[in-house]
Amino acid sequence: MDFGFSPEQQQLRKDLIEFIRGNVTEQVIAEMDAAEDAMESSGQSRHLGQRGPHVTALFEKIAERGWLGYSYPKEYGGQGGDRISQNIIEEEFLRVGINISLAGSGAPAIMAAGTEEQKRYYLPKLIKMEYYFALGFTEPHAGADLAALRCRAIRDGDHFVINGQKMYTTSAHFATHIYLMARTDPDASRHDGISIFIFPMDTPGLTVRPLWTIQNNPRAPRGTCYGDARSNEVFFEDVRVHESTLLGKENQGWRVGSMGLNLDRVGASRYLRSVRRDEDIVNLLKTTDFGGYSPASNTAIRDKVAELWIEAQVCRLMTLRSMSIVERGGQFSYEGSAEKVWSPEHGVRTTEAITQMLGPYAQLLNGSPLAVEKGVFAHNTMGAFQSGINHGSVQIMRDQVAKRGLEMPSLRRAQKSK
Amino acid sequence: MDVLLTDEEKMVATSAREFLEGECSTTLVREMEESPLGYPAQLWSKCAEMGWTGMCLPEAYGGQELPLVYLGLVMQEVGRALAPLPLHSTVVTSLALSRAASTEQKEQYLPAVSEGRAILTWAFSEKDPRFKPETVQTTAVLDGDHYVIQGSKLFVDFFAASDFCLVACRTAQACAANEGLSLFIVDSKSAGISHVPLRTLAKDQQCEVIFNQVRVPKSCLVGKLNEGWPVMQEMLDVATVLLCTQMLGATRMDAEMAIEHAKFREAFGQPIGAFQSIQHTCADMIISIDGGELLAYEALWKMDNGMPAAVEVSQAKAFCNEKCIAVVRNAQSIHGGIGFMMEFDLHLWYRRVTAWAMRLGTSFEHRERIAHALLDIPGHIVLGGPVPATT
Repeated sequence: MDFGFSPEQQQLRKDLIEFIRGNVTEQVIAEMDAAEDAMESSGQSRHLGQRGPHVTALFEKIAERGWLGYSYPKEYGGQGGDRISQNIIEEEFLRVGINISLAGSGAPAIMAAGTEEQKRYYLPKLIKMEYYFALGFTEPHAGADLAALRCRAIRDGDHFVINGQKMYTTSAHFATHIYLMARTDPDASRHDGISIFIFPMDTPGLTVRPLWTIQNNPRAPRGTCYGDARSNEVFFEDVRVHESTLLGKENQGWRVGSMGLNLDRVGASRYLRSVRRDEDIVNLLKTTDFGGYSPASNTAIRDKVAELWIEAQVCRLMTLRSMSIVERGGQFSYEGSAEKVWSPEHGVRTTEAITQMLGPYAQLLNGSPLAVEKGVFAHNTMGAFQSGINHGSVQIMRDQVAKRGLEMPSLRRAQKSK
Repeated sequence: MDVLLTDEEKMVATSAREFLEGECSTTLVREMEESPLGYPAQLWSKCAEMGWTGMCLPEAYGGQELPLVYLGLVMQEVGRALAPLPLHSTVVTSLALSRAASTEQKEQYLPAVSEGRAILTWAFSEKDPRFKPETVQTTAVLDGDHYVIQGSKLFVDFFAASDFCLVACRTAQACAANEGLSLFIVDSKSAGISHVPLRTLAKDQQCEVIFNQVRVPKSCLVGKLNEGWPVMQEMLDVATVLLCTQMLGATRMDAEMAIEHAKFREAFGQPIGAFQSIQHTCADMIISIDGGELLAYEALWKMDNGMPAAVEVSQAKAFCNEKCIAVVRNAQSIHGGIGFMMEFDLHLWYRRVTAWAMRLGTSFEHRERIAHALLDIPGHIVLGGPVPATT
């Protein structure tokens, strides 16, 4: 076992921190905030068009440094590097609120199941962030039980005609494409009649309607765990797409989708969402003084801070374990699911505990007088628990740990249904 | 960066497991609960032959000079099998000697440890059971070419079986709390030493050891006079992290027994392991054990690489204390009534894991050590980055 980063990886982190200090300016952040505001209100905007000159220049520099798609093969626009280094890159950019992670992008599933042509077409554009996929999985009647999805894609010659609805499609208002899971064979068993399609958001018959989250008004500060103000519903009305938009084989979509999701659940993005409040509170308490009262001198608070810090280390180590497995070329048995139970639940525990350390100050939202750290703890109270719901709830993840990791039996009555 | 075990590490763990599966039955574990010495001499010799006692000692003294991580993996298997052996006390003491003792002392004690001829233990705790320098009240006073030790030590592992004991003594009074402490390596059979066995939850070997005007030659001083605290601190950290791995090994075995039980025990027309309430409990048990292992391995790895590891050791122990207890309690719960019947083996693990969690630092003590490092020292802290060294 080796818990250390190589000299090259340590240097990479130093380079990143220096680059970010010099290049992620307040102008860049302001431009990104403004773009998000614009996208949320328009609803029909597209990813690329929203990049202002400072952000565009920043991303060109990031690409020049070779930090995009670091662990993806060179022939698909990546750098052919190692997974741990990619994690370092993603982590440092996420710390300043810039997500260049390919988790949740659809890229892992394309790598795993795409045709050569699809890989060559999509991966370079996803890596450069010229394309961005909205993940069309959840439906009004299919959330945790995703295999109950009803959105239909009916074959018509070499085309499919899609009808149905998707829900909580978080990035649909700025995505370029939809990564859609639809039912192609209603007579097959639940998992066997599903396919995945990737096609442009401006395909005729596709409409997007906003769903506003509890983080709307005021906007959550950058770094909030699930601070998205907007999610979406997506409607499909006789949407015609060519069969070449299929990812993987027809009716094989469940396997392809699960593969992508498994890889999306782990990595820097979810890890940082779960542990940033731990760093916040430790550094904040060093100097916090409420009218002469220093919470850092309170024995109960000190004990709690240490307890949370230990839990956060476990988040970090579980992420490194997942990365180690991926780097060795292995498959998760239950380790990814374990991480997806531990980290989100820790994020909730730490957020709730902090609110009890700071008391009434912690309830103040972004922009309020007296708000602590731009209200991040109040906004995190609205966001942290979301991490335990999306991308496979913690309950579903525990099922997977038990079934896949521990080979525990299924309920007998469950065997009757198909 | 690769936090998984290497093939070599796996091999060490596997061979230790296979050896103990063959040599250490629960019948033996139960017998040793009733034995005054508490360990089977034959098994102890075999462990020395396997190279466990000298695993991390210098080759010059018959050791293998392997990293501590390997010893951690062996301790995990010792914990899994509940092997009643004075291994923990012997390796912890011998490692302290190999770091702080003179060449003559090393020549005297270390080859004997490597060859399985000597059982060692250490004595730090007194009435105030915290691991702080000011709790050491036992004195050693120079009298000619001898020191005279006077005082009483508590919770000393395997004292009755031990040949030598490393004793923490106060050798100077009027000074800061972390100064004025010294270590002495003492023949356990010296005149003036008596011991009282304690009856522990684990039914293992812990003693009160009373030093009544015990005269030891000056040559028994280990390291420099009045500068013993840093050596003790390092010894306590090594002892703590190795106890963590021992607890984790025992806890994982206990959890595996509960998971197996849940797969076969039927109720309501199902194996109870098909119910989500049981499955989710088992998932949490495994997640806790994995988390504890990662924390303990990181602490060991840092020690092996000469990095400060005090905070990492405390992280591991505070986490293991609470999580391991929760796991073995849940394993009891999954077993139902049979789990607490004397004739059934599960309680052997439950009683040990819970008792071990009470030793070498409570959750509160370890968390205060972490809180001090995090909150009382200026400077921005990043998770995964360095945390200031603590005292």
